[in-house]
Amino acid sequence: MGFWERLLKIDRKIIFIVMAVLVLFPLLKPLGLGVGSGPRAKAVFDAVDSIPPGKTLLISVDFDPASMPELYPMLVALMRHAFARDVRVLLCGLWITGAGLADKAVTEIAPEYGKEYGRDVVYLGWKAGVDAVILGMGENIKNVFSVDYYGHPLDSLPMMQEVTRLRDIPFMVAISAGTPGFSDWLLYGHSRYGLRVGAGVTAVSAADAYPYLQTGQLTGLLAGMKGAAEYEVLVQRHNYSKAYMPAVAAMDSQSLAHIVILVLVVIGNIAFFVTRKRGR
Amino acid sequence: MHISTDIWTWVAVILTFGIFSFLWKDNPFYKFCEHLFVGVSVGYTIALTWYNSVYPDLITPLFRQGKPLYVIPFLLGLCYFFRFIPKASWLVRIPMGFVLGWASGVAIPAFFQTNVIKQIQGTLLSPALFARWDVFLWALISFIGVICSVLYFFFSREHKGALKVAAETGIVFLMIGFGASFGYTVMARMSLLIGRFQFLLRDWLGVIR
Repeated sequence: MGFWERLLKIDRKIIFIVMAVLVLFPLLKPLGLGVGSGPRAKAVFDAVDSIPPGKTLLISVDFDPASMPELYPMLVALMRHAFARDVRVLLCGLWITGAGLADKAVTEIAPEYGKEYGRDVVYLGWKAGVDAVILGMGENIKNVFSVDYYGHPLDSLPMMQEVTRLRDIPFMVAISAGTPGFSDWLLYGHSRYGLRVGAGVTAVSAADAYPYLQTGQLTGLLAGMKGAAEYEVLVQRHNYSKAYMPAVAAMDSQSLAHIVILVLVVIGNIAFFVTRKRGR
Repeated sequence: MHISTDIWTWVAVILTFGIFSFLWKDNPFYKFCEHLFVGVSVGYTIALTWYNSVYPDLITPLFRQGKPLYVIPFLLGLCYFFRFIPKASWLVRIPMGFVLGWASGVAIPAFFQTNVIKQIQGTLLSPALFARWDVFLWALISFIGVICSVLYFFFSREHKGALKVAAETGIVFLMIGFGASFGYTVMARMSLLIGRFQFLLRDWLGVIR
């Protein structure tokens, strides 16, 4: 068996080990490759930045713990950005398994900026019936969520006296790992109530979001961990936060892993064509 | 190094290694973790559905506040359970018909507006696109890509002559699309691996911030 044949039959566990080492190394010893900010992340940032203090940013937490490494840093960075500018944050969710994640963000991030629950931030929780929920929120949020995630009646929360329906919200970001997600907010929130929508999506579904970006239906897009890192960089560059940036910290590992995959794809193709030529 | 003393962090670590063990080969430890995940997810979903939706939106208004109209969704919901009784299983068609009718009526106009009209508008070469050469170039490429990709799926005529050229150009655009999706998928999977490693190094071992 020649060199190329052996290469094609290499034990996949060796590839796993190489990948694990190359992902682990930059986490322990950061390489400082750096992260820039692209126009799509900047568009989301500018939209949040243009919300007047005292107004409300709606964030829909449409993901589960499986997508946490990519999407949770987006949620945290968005909340820090809003709180630093005294923009109120209203959270809700279309994914039942994401309910606890939004709760975690509310309890961890709001105190960092001295924000008070009910006055500066409200978490509505999750409700069944995606289209009915969004359409209901377009008419009257209290009709859909009579109480918030923690059981407080919405009438008892000062923030909810001013935010009664989707038209009271200047901008929203749907952080989605699939369906239901940003596409449902576009279907019902944007097309029917004119809600401006930005999206934070997993890298897997980023390609599906681009057509909506091109038509202007989506204001901006945060795609995968790279999108989260870009937003973290923008938030720190404008001095809205000095906190640890988990997505930025992960980008060195991401870059090394991509280089390895590129090399493996090239080597695999060369080996395939060489062995096929010999076979003839 | 500052190893976590939180029992739940240790549980998560053990389950993480259990799932990773599949990379070596299928084993009972992996199976246990997989079944536990499915069971916990279902249990969590049922509990949250009850406390966030069924109890406050149906049980409370119907039985505690005595609102009689809520008996309609209550009965429609009950009809779903007749699926388990073969002689009365036809009753399940009533709520399904209601849901399908309502959802179609609501979704079709919105879907058409969002995914058809707006997308066609986005593909058209409008005069505004001629203002800058780079914007025009991308719009033109997008326009050609859409036309050729659609023509690839036109099967009413044999792909010969101009149609063949257009269809083959469409394949190039489709391949570029698949390549972009694959690249993003690689990034997504790597992100999940990095996320787990960050958990192990930070939350469990305490060797990174």
